[in-house]
Amino acid sequence: MRLHLIELILFSTYAELRAERARSYLGLLWWIVEPAMNMATYYLVFAVIFKTGAPDYVPFLLIGLTLWQWFKSCISHGGYSIWQQLPLIRQVKLPLQVFPSVQILADTVKFLCILVLLLVILWCSGYPPNITYLALLPVLLIELVFVAAATYIVAAVVPLVPDLRFVIEQVLQVVMFLSGIVFSLDGLPPTLRRWFALNPIVELVDAGRGILMHAQWPDWYALGRVTLISLVLYALGVFLIERLTPRYVKLPT
Amino acid sequence: MSESIVRLENVGVAFNAQLRVGSPRFWALEDVSLSLARGDRLGVVGRNGCGKSTLLRTIAGIITPDRGRLTRAPVSCQLLSLTLGFVPHLSGRDNAVLSGLMLGLRRREIVSRLPAILDFSELGEFFDQPISSYSTGMLMRLGFSVAIQVDPDVLLIDEVLAVGDAEFQEKSGAALRARIAGGSTVVFVSHGDAQIRQICDRALWLEHGRSMLDGPVDEVLAAYHAAQQASAAATAGA
Repeated sequence: MRLHLIELILFSTYAELRAERARSYLGLLWWIVEPAMNMATYYLVFAVIFKTGAPDYVPFLLIGLTLWQWFKSCISHGGYSIWQQLPLIRQVKLPLQVFPSVQILADTVKFLCILVLLLVILWCSGYPPNITYLALLPVLLIELVFVAAATYIVAAVVPLVPDLRFVIEQVLQVVMFLSGIVFSLDGLPPTLRRWFALNPIVELVDAGRGILMHAQWPDWYALGRVTLISLVLYALGVFLIERLTPRYVKLPT
Repeated sequence: MSESIVRLENVGVAFNAQLRVGSPRFWALEDVSLSLARGDRLGVVGRNGCGKSTLLRTIAGIITPDRGRLTRAPVSCQLLSLTLGFVPHLSGRDNAVLSGLMLGLRRREIVSRLPAILDFSELGEFFDQPISSYSTGMLMRLGFSVAIQVDPDVLLIDEVLAVGDAEFQEKSGAALRARIAGGSTVVFVSHGDAQIRQICDRALWLEHGRSMLDGPVDEVLAAYHAAQQASAAATAGA
């Protein structure tokens, strides 16, 4: 049963990526070009026009945006996946985690492509690989758990309250600015900074920047706390989907 | 009488009518009782909107009852639906695999049956083309060819017995009848008396979400038609 579901998720992910490629002229190129354009926009506005920040601002921004966009795209795609699959859900009995999981996996594949590009850019601009890269894998795995947790929770609730779709993009925008993606949070008073650090994204992006820019090992204590928060939210997400599943098929068509 | 594999006792199913806070629910099934034994071939009759499709989806386990009791032995139920989970930009072959996985087959099972699917669907070289280039008939042929690969304990059929052009209708109908004759347990919803008589050994009449009569096909059909004529006469007289 379990193996069957893994096969279904993997093949659906392949199908999703394959179909996405077929939907546009440039196909796979958009995986890189779209985030690159997004990064260029922020670079233009904050580095060139407003002349924000330190000399390290460009890698600071690129790393932050790369890790952020992974989170954001999973929520914007996976968060609507159950809602979008309601017609299918009325036809066949499936564990509904399948649908957000497929989107998360597809967006993670795209993220990995962008990550490779990011690393190349960093190496070319004077931030060579270093021993702390070993910590990159756990950091990314923790982010994956957090991403999955957030996506599951959104995916569970959106079918019941589709109105949330109009709110989510805005909320994501605000969360991005509060997560220190574009601006450094170092300027905040320490008491306030501590509150901000409850946001897993803040710690994860901090850890990523430390590793990639300063050859700095992550704050393991902080990462442990983020792992705990992420696992709790993940369990909540799974619980919500399972608990709400009987209600989805009874929603008006 | 053999042991029942699916049993419904006074089952009711309610839907949300609208996405509004406090909007009333409506009961698609009010009070349905039935028992299905292995090898039963049950036909379900009733007017449009009497809850036949809801009943099938409840038996399939897609819908959970809001009241009453549903007990099901560990059996697999398949609601026969064509083009399940199809993705437009993928080839017929990939869609066959995807659909098969959704129907509960393992990947190697569905892959080993691809030649049979290709053969049955008569798609030829279109099999490796994106299904967005298919005609409706071709889609139905592919969908049916995949759906018939699954061998569930209980097969649930909502009207569709035969799809496609005349020739393929013949073929798909024959394949399904062969499956049914092979001893599958079947629940078949239909408006066609002839088909119910041909396939089923028992019938259930549903009216406004209630099970009215459950018994031999002829008896149930006679009672159902008598009631329909009576209500038609009453409407005409009023």
